[in-house]
Amino acid sequence: MIAIALPSIAPGTLLAAAVTSAAAGLYLMLPRGQGGRRERTARWLGGLLGAVALAGFIAAGRRLGSVGEEGVFLTVSLVAVVSAAATIASRSPVYAAIWFALALLGVAGVLLVLGAQFLGVATIVVYAGAILVMFLFVLMLAQPTGMAPYDRVSNEPLLSAVAGAVMLGVLSLSIGRLSSEPPACCAVPSRAAAVASPRVDDVDAPTTAGDPLVTDQVARLGGELFGRHLLAVEVAGVLLLVALIGSIAVVARAGDHSGELAPRRAAR
Amino acid sequence: MTSLALLQNGLTVGAILFALGLVGILARRNLIVMFLSAELMLQGISVSLVAWSRHHGDFGGHVLVILVLTVAACEAAVALVFVLNAFARTGRLDAAAWQSLRESNLPRVVDHGLPPVDASIQRFPRLTPAGVLPAADEDAALQREHV
Repeated sequence: MIAIALPSIAPGTLLAAAVTSAAAGLYLMLPRGQGGRRERTARWLGGLLGAVALAGFIAAGRRLGSVGEEGVFLTVSLVAVVSAAATIASRSPVYAAIWFALALLGVAGVLLVLGAQFLGVATIVVYAGAILVMFLFVLMLAQPTGMAPYDRVSNEPLLSAVAGAVMLGVLSLSIGRLSSEPPACCAVPSRAAAVASPRVDDVDAPTTAGDPLVTDQVARLGGELFGRHLLAVEVAGVLLLVALIGSIAVVARAGDHSGELAPRRAAR
Repeated sequence: MTSLALLQNGLTVGAILFALGLVGILARRNLIVMFLSAELMLQGISVSLVAWSRHHGDFGGHVLVILVLTVAACEAAVALVFVLNAFARTGRLDAAAWQSLRESNLPRVVDHGLPPVDASIQRFPRLTPAGVLPAADEDAALQREHV
């Protein structure tokens, strides 16, 4: 509706307004140690400004081809963005973790819409299934009862919101300037160009990975992963091993307490 | 044309997620929420990479996202070990508990005058009691070692 109501505003102005109101809304929603009625009013106002910012981003965004695709993309990306904002704005870290899980679901949906079936599922399995549970486990171990004072205040909320707005503004400006033509210096032979001017040796070459939307996508991704990027897979495996051994080593050293270390050393 | 629109929308979502994670990691003081914000930034990167991958019809972005997942898992493991150690030393999940490590010309973070927690915000549901109250067997209670 807003997109229909605001056709005359230039997209640059719209984006600037959206970024500004997003920053103001984030500043209002971040915990600032107020408490009581003022805090609730600020959060309402912040949520309102955030909704205005989202509407601005939606209005400034390009329209996809079909209504169905557009609706699905809008839904999943709204879920991702809104719950990401709630993650950093919620006071209780447990709630933050649960909002983060919802943001992960949204991101997985975005990945599915963008044609990455394996990655969408892997995001849910690896992040929501393993990493997030680990976070929650540590939270349950380490969380004091009640709301801790450091959860109710922020570190420079105004400056942080301004930094985020600058980042977002620069990024969305450069995203808006993207054109379909590749720059003249380094033209990538895209699929569309290959179809437009088919060269026999290029099209038939099995190494052109091609369309991510093929039916045997996972198999081709695996082929790509263990073909062209085999060294990267090895490096990732070594990284996992090092992280495993490193965390075990740190935990094992922390097991004998720091208070006991000194006398034992002195005894030797 | 549609492909470019999809690329731009995906990149916008990625940029918003990245900026939100940036604000979170700068502003919040809970160590775990800071790590959640870092993961949000990684999610933004993943969305951008997959959008580019779709645009160019190439699997390179997907491979990079798999590497991002791997690094995120390693980072979570190592970081949570450090968080647990920090909690064991200070008893707090507070980044400002380690402010003795700050630069010498920076002011000290002091929490002054926080108002008391508003109990009306945290209202947990209570289960209504249902069924018949079981009759207490006093002999069995007396024979138990630990009551």
